[in-house]
Amino acid sequence: MNPEERAYHEGFMREAIAMAELALKSDETPVGCVFVKDGKIIGRGMNETNRTLNGTRHAEFVAIAGILSKNPIKILNKTDLYVTVEPCVMCASMLRQYGIRSVYFGCWNERFGGTGGVLNIHSDPSVDKPYPVTGGIFREEAIMLLRKFYVQENEKAPEPKQKKTRELKTEILPMDIHAPKSTPSPALPTPPIVASAARH
Amino acid sequence: MSTPTPLAGRLVPLRTKDEVRASLETQSAYIVEVPAKHANAVKDIVQAAIPDFKTSEISHLRRVVQFKYLPPHLQKQFHPPTRLPRGDLDNPATVLLSSPPSTSASPSVSSPTPPPANADDDSAEHFDLVRYFLLCPTKYIPHADLFALIRTCPPFDAKNVAPPRVFFVTVPTLAPISAEQAATWSEVYWPISYKNTNPYGPHPSLVQRNAAEIEGEAGGWLALANTAGQQISEKCLGESIGVVVVDRTKETPQVIAVAGDCRWRSPTGATEEHTGTGNVMAHAVQRAIAMVAKKRLRLAGTDPALLDRSLFCDSPLTEVEKEYYERDNIASSGYLCVDLDIYLTNEPCVMCSMAILHSRFRRCIFSTRMPYTGGMTSDGVDESPMPGGLKNGLFWRPSELNWKFLAWEFKEDDKDQKEIPRFNTLLHV
Repeated sequence: MNPEERAYHEGFMREAIAMAELALKSDETPVGCVFVKDGKIIGRGMNETNRTLNGTRHAEFVAIAGILSKNPIKILNKTDLYVTVEPCVMCASMLRQYGIRSVYFGCWNERFGGTGGVLNIHSDPSVDKPYPVTGGIFREEAIMLLRKFYVQENEKAPEPKQKKTRELKTEILPMDIHAPKSTPSPALPTPPIVASAARH
Repeated sequence: MSTPTPLAGRLVPLRTKDEVRASLETQSAYIVEVPAKHANAVKDIVQAAIPDFKTSEISHLRRVVQFKYLPPHLQKQFHPPTRLPRGDLDNPATVLLSSPPSTSASPSVSSPTPPPANADDDSAEHFDLVRYFLLCPTKYIPHADLFALIRTCPPFDAKNVAPPRVFFVTVPTLAPISAEQAATWSEVYWPISYKNTNPYGPHPSLVQRNAAEIEGEAGGWLALANTAGQQISEKCLGESIGVVVVDRTKETPQVIAVAGDCRWRSPTGATEEHTGTGNVMAHAVQRAIAMVAKKRLRLAGTDPALLDRSLFCDSPLTEVEKEYYERDNIASSGYLCVDLDIYLTNEPCVMCSMAILHSRFRRCIFSTRMPYTGGMTSDGVDESPMPGGLKNGLFWRPSELNWKFLAWEFKEDDKDQKEIPRFNTLLHV
């Protein structure tokens, strides 16, 4: 990825991080995203699982619900997603069914990531067209946002765990220790930022 | 309300991804013929030479086996057992068995040829004395290296002793999941040690207990799911796919939510042209989960329309959906869909399977498999356009995902397998 491309992607990832910060202020898991078509943001989303009591209200769903209220579905074929945390298995499948063009994310999701962190829903054999993914854009920021959230209290969770003793850790392990569980697909370069294709 | 006639059929537990793998995967392993007394010495030397090899990997395979317990094809292959010193110097049998000239002169000690005629007298005794020792999977060491290594172990380090016989056998890579499987494998591969557990899925007794609890009602809930699908497709808002969410923790089961597919409904509520994927977020599972959440919000005194968006289609639209949505029967202390069961007309797609997992459902039961798009099954069909199916088996991936639950397929009685599906088999449910 050349410096110009990097700046382009980082610009949109900054916008996604702003959404994640908003989520954190709203006591939601700090995951934020923006959808970009022709260099313009056409939708924004953040996690809303706590306020809706619905575990499926992820940032990607929220943003797409906004986009498709004004645009036809096929707009997504020309749209890229920037999301602070790797899409989960559910969102990875949703994005593939809708035909998203490509996905850029911050940190990997080792608990239920669907684009390399745990499974490879974006590239596995399927009746739907695969899409390329690029991970690691502002990875450290994305991880720090999640850590800040986990030291807060989650009132909605059953039998809340004792969180008072938790402390905010700031050390972030290098990639090789913090690597995804599954073998990344060829479309997913493991070292921080490499463009999957020069398309911008 | 009119209760639909329950479907007649039976519950078949889904196989987990690891169970499918365990039932298919085999590897090649070395077997060496040793006198019973020397098995430990050989084991120690081999172990020391291959530090990477952990015996826990093959703990489902019997390590040391007598000739008479070998499966028939191996008895045939290994026959006759070689005469080897017993390794017990005080035993007169040592003398008898320490390679008499006739045997050491034979060029065919290490090949399965019939025993020389003069060996008949004591052959029964060799059968008891030699053991077939499973060393390790062949991937750990080349045959020639292993052979040389065993040559350094007693009794093979002595002069005038026949060279060790090292065989290749095919063994199951992973442990069996049931006593039946262990018995079959012992016959066709190698004697198996079964520990009465299932390391690759829910314990059979747990599955059985849960199936017994719900099997009397499953057909009824699935008929209700059918009704939900029919009603929504009659309105041309979605495919004939339906979902029912049931709380089975109380004495009287409670239907918490009923939802049909809503992919063809436009943001303004009109019918969209039935082309492409439609509104993926309005699959029946997503709608049902949203309705459960809205009932919880209502119970907590919060506006159920909080953060609602028309694209989610999570308000009840048909008669049957409304009837159950309006009932205030959800437990106040609940979290997401913990302790709830979900019944579906069809196997959910990957997105919806993961939505069920995210929502912490307890059990999942569906009627019709979706071989190309379903996210629950692990043993897909081997047919085009996608040989093998997806094989994600999302209901039971405990080492990778953060929740697991039990899942069954409901096999309807007298249902023709080749029945024309209600819709395109490539559809995502």
